[in-house]
Amino acid sequence: MTSTIRFQFTKGQEVRFLSHLDLVRAMERAIRRAGLPMAYSEGFSPRPIMSYSFALPVGVMSEAEYADFRLVEDWDPAYFMEQFNKHLPPGLRVLHAERLPEGTPALMSEINAALWRIRLPQAEQVAVEKRWQELQAVDSFVVERQTKQGSRSVNLRPLLFGVPRIAREGEAVEVHCLAAVGNQGNLRVEELGLLLGFDSAQALITRIGQFKKVGSAYYPPLGNRGCTWTE
Amino acid sequence: MDKRLVPLLPLVTKPARYTNSEVNAQHKEWTEDRVTMALAFPDIYDVGMAHLGFKILYALINSRPDALAERVYAPWVDMQQLMIERGIPLTALESGRDVADFDLVGFTLQHELSYTNILKMLDLAGIPRRTQDRREGDPLVLAGGPCAFNVEPLADFFDFVVLGEGEEVIQEILDVVKAAKQSRTPRQETLRELARLKGVYVPSFYRPVYDSGRFQGLEPLYPDLPARIEKRVARDLGSLPFPEEFVVPYTEVIHDRVMVEILRGCTRGCRFCQAGMIYRPVRERDPEQLKEQVAKLVSSTGYDEISLSSLSSGDYTQIRSLVKDLIAAYRGCGVTVSLPSLRLDSFAVELADEIQKARKTGLTFAPEAGTQRLRDVINKNVTDQDLKEVVQAAFQAGWHRIKLYFMIGLPTETEADLDGIAELAHKVLAWGREFRTSRKRPEVTVSMASFVPKPHTPFQWRGQDSLETLRAKQEYLRERLRHPGIQFSFHEVEHSFLEAAFARGDRRLGAVLERAVDLGCQFDSWGDELRFDRWLQAFREAGLDPVDYAQRSLDPEEALPWDHLSPGVDKKFLVREWELAQQAIPTPDCRWDRCTLCGVCFNLQVANRLTEVGSGD
Repeated sequence: MTSTIRFQFTKGQEVRFLSHLDLVRAMERAIRRAGLPMAYSEGFSPRPIMSYSFALPVGVMSEAEYADFRLVEDWDPAYFMEQFNKHLPPGLRVLHAERLPEGTPALMSEINAALWRIRLPQAEQVAVEKRWQELQAVDSFVVERQTKQGSRSVNLRPLLFGVPRIAREGEAVEVHCLAAVGNQGNLRVEELGLLLGFDSAQALITRIGQFKKVGSAYYPPLGNRGCTWTE
Repeated sequence: MDKRLVPLLPLVTKPARYTNSEVNAQHKEWTEDRVTMALAFPDIYDVGMAHLGFKILYALINSRPDALAERVYAPWVDMQQLMIERGIPLTALESGRDVADFDLVGFTLQHELSYTNILKMLDLAGIPRRTQDRREGDPLVLAGGPCAFNVEPLADFFDFVVLGEGEEVIQEILDVVKAAKQSRTPRQETLRELARLKGVYVPSFYRPVYDSGRFQGLEPLYPDLPARIEKRVARDLGSLPFPEEFVVPYTEVIHDRVMVEILRGCTRGCRFCQAGMIYRPVRERDPEQLKEQVAKLVSSTGYDEISLSSLSSGDYTQIRSLVKDLIAAYRGCGVTVSLPSLRLDSFAVELADEIQKARKTGLTFAPEAGTQRLRDVINKNVTDQDLKEVVQAAFQAGWHRIKLYFMIGLPTETEADLDGIAELAHKVLAWGREFRTSRKRPEVTVSMASFVPKPHTPFQWRGQDSLETLRAKQEYLRERLRHPGIQFSFHEVEHSFLEAAFARGDRRLGAVLERAVDLGCQFDSWGDELRFDRWLQAFREAGLDPVDYAQRSLDPEEALPWDHLSPGVDKKFLVREWELAQQAIPTPDCRWDRCTLCGVCFNLQVANRLTEVGSGD
């Protein structure tokens, strides 16, 4: 009796410098330590059947990563979360888990927007606000993007959906950005920096939400599937 | 980890090397009554995390309530630069404390080309390089590992050195250092105390004597010091503790898997091989104990691979039943078994077949020499017939890629032996065409290292070929190996040359090492990091000739800089083996044949210890 569990997890301070490959490896080892009844792929080197939301850049933290695990037994999601959390390394924590109905689209095909929280230690609130105002007035912000095939021009402006928060947080300025993520258009964190005028290596960046964006409504891939954001 | 490193992490390659917080890392509190030891590996994290010896010591020390151990690795060049710019000293992973704050800083000496990294790490830590410059309050800097058996080039930098197996002597060392810490005993007195432990060598208590540039011997400074320091060795591996947990790294490191040590020592007696001499006798671990260790480690780490490690895993008496049992036990959860050091025989093919049932990637064999005559000289007891059978069996079993290891520049080598290497490669390819069952085209990879004379081996007296000769031999082989289906590679001769000079070095090389580090040499074993011209400059400025150290053939009568460091093997045995080598007479393995009178069992009161053949076989 197989089942799929979708869960939301964190990638905290302790593990923020792991690459996506490192993260997947750490997950696989935690799976084995926890004795999760994973379904394994066929073939020469069986791997646990699991899939993840879009890879986080190295150095970036998250409170909203998602993964689907295929199990050969029908585990209660709460029990799954409890067992798995006992064996996950520090910084990786399951926050929510639920049984996924058959036929639910894959994370990668559904998610197209992310909410980023950016802490800028050396920034003025007014400056960021001004920058965002200027950006709102234009519909084009073209940069050269380096890819494996070479470089090409990309208009970043349509990839930034909104900046719902710019606020002073102690010594820093905290900015929330809604931006495109995924195969249909993806705004990289360093490009987010280019748009809003900050150095992404100096900022403390956390992904705090991932959504399926339909028009101006944002649906998280888990939990209350109702709309949680509207622009 | 050290919080000062956090802002540097986005600026360096592979930041996860420096971040700690791995599963099973031990964070013990620093209390006054605890002896603190930094286990310092003289290479980067990615290499050092593979070292089984430190895994054993880490678990062992941390299991003592009155001690703690933390890990230290060499930061890569990019991180070093940032640390120096910002004045951040070398720190330990777990607590982020300065390495200089530890009571003990222990280095492992795995190979000669890591020596510069040791000095570099001391520099970064702000610990004086030379033992004579260290003051009360500085850590005691020690070393162990295979190269401790000729630690003389590093003698000026280590307060004390441990010969042989660490599991038992480390306890005694911790006891001495703990007592010294409590009673605030001065350094020199603590060292006097440590020198009384069996297997502990305090280099500064011995003075070398030279006569017209030639080493004559070492003089102990105190009458109660032993003239020879004998290694520590455990009679029974079963009585030694083995970790139940390994620290599980996040970033990719080499040999990232569960490792258990199935046996220690090897008595095959290959005459070039230092490991075969210094780790004697052979002691096998009980298979039931091994299975328990594996079970604990798999569940505490979550690794998907189990490696059965030793110098020659196919020699383990119950290898077949052990492999079978492990495969059966872990097949269901995607955990595989691997045997890293398989000797060339048909049994090895059967075993490999068992392990790699599905995925027949490549099989590696080490004939070491190209002709039967030279294999008899080096005592690699493999015949042409064996080779043929084993390679054919491998192709028949479905492998298509065979890797062969050879050494060039071995004693008595002639052109015929080089031809033999090329012929063998071509023959293997032909057998592949004839016997392969795989649909893939047969491939042969030939990897050739240069012979390096190592202390405490029968070949220790034989000088290394000159750089020109080695290069010419490589060129000779290159022409004969260039063929579709054959790939080949050579170790760089400059690496082998420096290795030989330091392997047979004496205390005077300490000055060369210091100068080389000052000239920017480090990570010498990393292909493109070796600065050979600077090394030559360092030798020149110290007034020493590396050629003399590496290439001079020594007289069996002359005093050797490592004569006082004893692995238990008698020098007269080595002389005898050296003579037999020149007559191309092999010596059988004492496990299955008569005693070779190497001296280890008699000198150290030990014996080969094989497990009974199990009923499951």
